[in-house]
Amino acid sequence: MKILVVDDERDVEDLFRQKFRKEIRNQGLELLFAFSGKEALEILESDDSPPVVSVFSDINMPGMSGLEMLGIIKTRFPQLTVNMISAYGDKDNYRKAMSSGAKGFFTKPVDFDSLRKEISEILAS
Amino acid sequence: MILINLISLFLLYYLKKSAGPQGFPTHLNRYFKYGMIAAATLIVLGILHVPPAILFQLASFALVGAIIYFILHTPELEYQRTLAITPLPIVGVQLLDYLVRTLSPGFHDVIENYFDAAGVFALIWAVTMWLNHRKQMKEVEIERIISKEQERQLRSTAEQKSQLEILVAERTSEILSQKEELQHALDHLRSTQEQLIQQEKLASLGQLTAGIAHEIKNPLNFVNNFSELSVDFLDEISEEMPRIPDSPEKENILDLLENVKSNLVKIRHHGSRADGIVRSMLMHSRGGTGTMEPSDLNALIREYANLAFHGMRANPNPINVDIQLDLDETLPKIKLNSEDFSRVILNLLKNAFDAMRDKIEAQGSEYKAKVIIRTKDLGNRVLVEVEDNGPGVPDEIKDKLLMPFFTTKKGTEGTGLGLSITHDIIKSHEGSLEIQSEADTFTLFKILLPKTIS
Repeated sequence: MKILVVDDERDVEDLFRQKFRKEIRNQGLELLFAFSGKEALEILESDDSPPVVSVFSDINMPGMSGLEMLGIIKTRFPQLTVNMISAYGDKDNYRKAMSSGAKGFFTKPVDFDSLRKEISEILAS
Repeated sequence: MILINLISLFLLYYLKKSAGPQGFPTHLNRYFKYGMIAAATLIVLGILHVPPAILFQLASFALVGAIIYFILHTPELEYQRTLAITPLPIVGVQLLDYLVRTLSPGFHDVIENYFDAAGVFALIWAVTMWLNHRKQMKEVEIERIISKEQERQLRSTAEQKSQLEILVAERTSEILSQKEELQHALDHLRSTQEQLIQQEKLASLGQLTAGIAHEIKNPLNFVNNFSELSVDFLDEISEEMPRIPDSPEKENILDLLENVKSNLVKIRHHGSRADGIVRSMLMHSRGGTGTMEPSDLNALIREYANLAFHGMRANPNPINVDIQLDLDETLPKIKLNSEDFSRVILNLLKNAFDAMRDKIEAQGSEYKAKVIIRTKDLGNRVLVEVEDNGPGVPDEIKDKLLMPFFTTKKGTEGTGLGLSITHDIIKSHEGSLEIQSEADTFTLFKILLPKTIS
């Protein structure tokens, strides 16, 4: 089961891989990483890899913002669940994300317990 | 003889009439009255021919003589001197005629014609003198009127002068009070200007801190996350450790791992401290979240005063505090960003608790910590007061209190942002924050909020 994480910070990859080490090892979780919205869309559109079931994306990124990307994903891949991640108390972004069809909204610093719960649900489905 | 007495009567009557508006002294009036009675009596006696004629005749001359003498020697009648000499020739001729007739009636018959002529001349003289006297009297009267008029003018001038002086004094005091008002307004303007400059500085500092906070936030998250993760991994390692046979190397490794773990815990701890500061800093720039809605300020205060108290009790070093609410129940709903304004109450109460905790530590249980929160409807504004009986704020730091990062709290307890944020929130409600304090007695935060926000 593939989950795509989109963030312009490269260390996010290490962080997620370490945080979800157990899930990756034992529960068949496969994490893909993209460091921009454009890169994320490329990954989603490449036919040769098994489909991604869920996307976790940062909002503030250079180039295409997470919200823009959310819009594009929702029109091209409506079945895909997308969760957004953004800065503290960012109510404006929260409203925009939820009205654009995001499934959930996580604030930075990411509470990994709730993120883990979300991912477990995806894995269980 | 009747003529002499008529002259006496006339003189007295004229003198009495000639008195000015101020009148003569009473003793003079009395003399006039008695003289007139005497003259009238003598006239009546003369007509009736009551003897002895000689006594009556002498008395008549004595009376007219006395009147003339009286006129000449009384200071009040000095201006009537010409009057005194008017009847003198008549009296003289009459006296001579009388003496000659009495002493030598024969000789009298011889010169009677001369006496008659002298009588006529004396009469002409008297009339002339009389007219002259009248003229003089009129001149005196005119002079008197002129001098009176002058005096009146002088008096009215003096009156006007004193009125003008009063007016000048009034105007002077008006100008002085206006000057004072202006001075006051100027002082107020100056202090407002200083406050504005201060606020401008704070605002730019606020923007700067918000920018810094944004930049620091992401790397800080990594510090926190990776340190936490590493602690978890170390826990896993220590779970695996028992499976490795014991050896001095293993012991050394375990020892080092323990140190690494405690270091990571420290990194995590200080990272979360920094995170708290960053969060507070971002509160400054967090514009537009939450909405201004008509809210029950009293209910908000009750709720958050309670929350602040229990929050403090649940944290390390709780203190006993008497919280009194003196809320104006007639307060209407006012436009508030409740989420933001609740932070004002929380911040002010937290500061009060921290300050009073210091005082308790310094003074012991003798001191009873107390906080009073008041609300009051001031017409177009609402007053909120938070007063504690803590150690007070020293004058030298009063104006630094609202600056970001200014804190009096020891070590890691305060971020120095609480009051700065509080001030920002109040400003965003178009309100004002004032601090009054007396060392070791009280600290009072006064918040004025407009009921309607533009």
